[in-house]
Amino acid sequence: MIARLLLAFACLLAFTAPAAAHRLKLFATVEEGAITGYAFFIGGGRPEGAELIVHDAAGQEIFRTATDAQGGFAWTPPKPDDYRLTVDARDGHMAEATIGADRLGGVAAPAPASAPTPAPAAPADTAAIERAVDKAVERQIRPLLEAYAEAEGRIRFNDVMGGIGMIVGLAGIGLWAAARRKSRDG
Amino acid sequence: MAHIPDGVLSVPVLAGGFVVAGGLVAVSLRRLDERTIPRAAILSAAFFVTSLVAVPVGPSSVHLLLSGLMGLMIGRLAAPAVLVGLLLQAVLFGFGGLTTLGVNTANIALPGILFGALFAPAVLRAEAGRAGLLAGICAALSVAGTGLLVALALALSSSDYVPSARILLVTYLPLMAGEALITGFAVSFLKRVKPDALAGVAP
Repeated sequence: MIARLLLAFACLLAFTAPAAAHRLKLFATVEEGAITGYAFFIGGGRPEGAELIVHDAAGQEIFRTATDAQGGFAWTPPKPDDYRLTVDARDGHMAEATIGADRLGGVAAPAPASAPTPAPAAPADTAAIERAVDKAVERQIRPLLEAYAEAEGRIRFNDVMGGIGMIVGLAGIGLWAAARRKSRDG
Repeated sequence: MAHIPDGVLSVPVLAGGFVVAGGLVAVSLRRLDERTIPRAAILSAAFFVTSLVAVPVGPSSVHLLLSGLMGLMIGRLAAPAVLVGLLLQAVLFGFGGLTTLGVNTANIALPGILFGALFAPAVLRAEAGRAGLLAGICAALSVAGTGLLVALALALSSSDYVPSARILLVTYLPLMAGEALITGFAVSFLKRVKPDALAGVAP
């Protein structure tokens, strides 16, 4: 019976190799001053109509919305701050993400007061260039951030086998203790 | 759904979960002997692996719990089996959490143990086909019980997190059906090839 069950495990693992897992995660990034992203279940599926709540650094709720059909959302914060995003799929699944003020502050930060003598090579519109660079960088790193968020929750075969090994070990300890008790009593 | 993460539940609910789970485990540990340990370990491993595998269903995603099967096969030893499986899932994969370990264990194991005890005598007497049917009903009820307990734990903690009844219904009904199917087949199979695997429930 044990061999048969182990075989069943092996089949199960083989079928689920692109490891599906059960956890809600929230992906959030900054694009052109707006916080955008989506909620997703590791292993597939996006929660539609999940509640997204944004708290500011002081813990005050300042924004609330529902995710769209792709689990997505977008929101333009009024000012740079440390925002905490919580998504609640209304079935007991919750996830959190934070967006720090420094990721929102790039453009909004006041330009440093320039020295009285004008720098000869200073570009005409530093702010415009900064915005353009921010936009390009945001576009380029978004896939990376998405891949990272996806990979972070992936189930690895080694971990699964390690867990099973741990259970076998526990059973061994239990059997050893039971045998000891028996030999002491007998 | 059954893996409530850290930082959601209030402290009294967390403490209550640990008390209930601790009580269940303490009561059942005395029942561990060389005959029941391997059985509990196999089911713990089965729970550990199968509840990692989730499928998207409607607006959410679900996974099997096997709590009905555990209740039928190992009775109250389901409590330590679930505890070990959940602990490993929390440590290795970040599913659920360490502070919610008690609540999650109680939510999954308690309905399984109760309905397992309720259905076990009938399953023991019935022939294979009928036993599978009874086991399926037992599994579906266990899943429903877990859903109710999860909703209760969330509702007791904060009104912000009260699950919406519509979404619970949409996600739990398919899960109940799937769980009933798997448990039903497993039990009718066991009934044919190894009937004493189910006899182990005699309390």
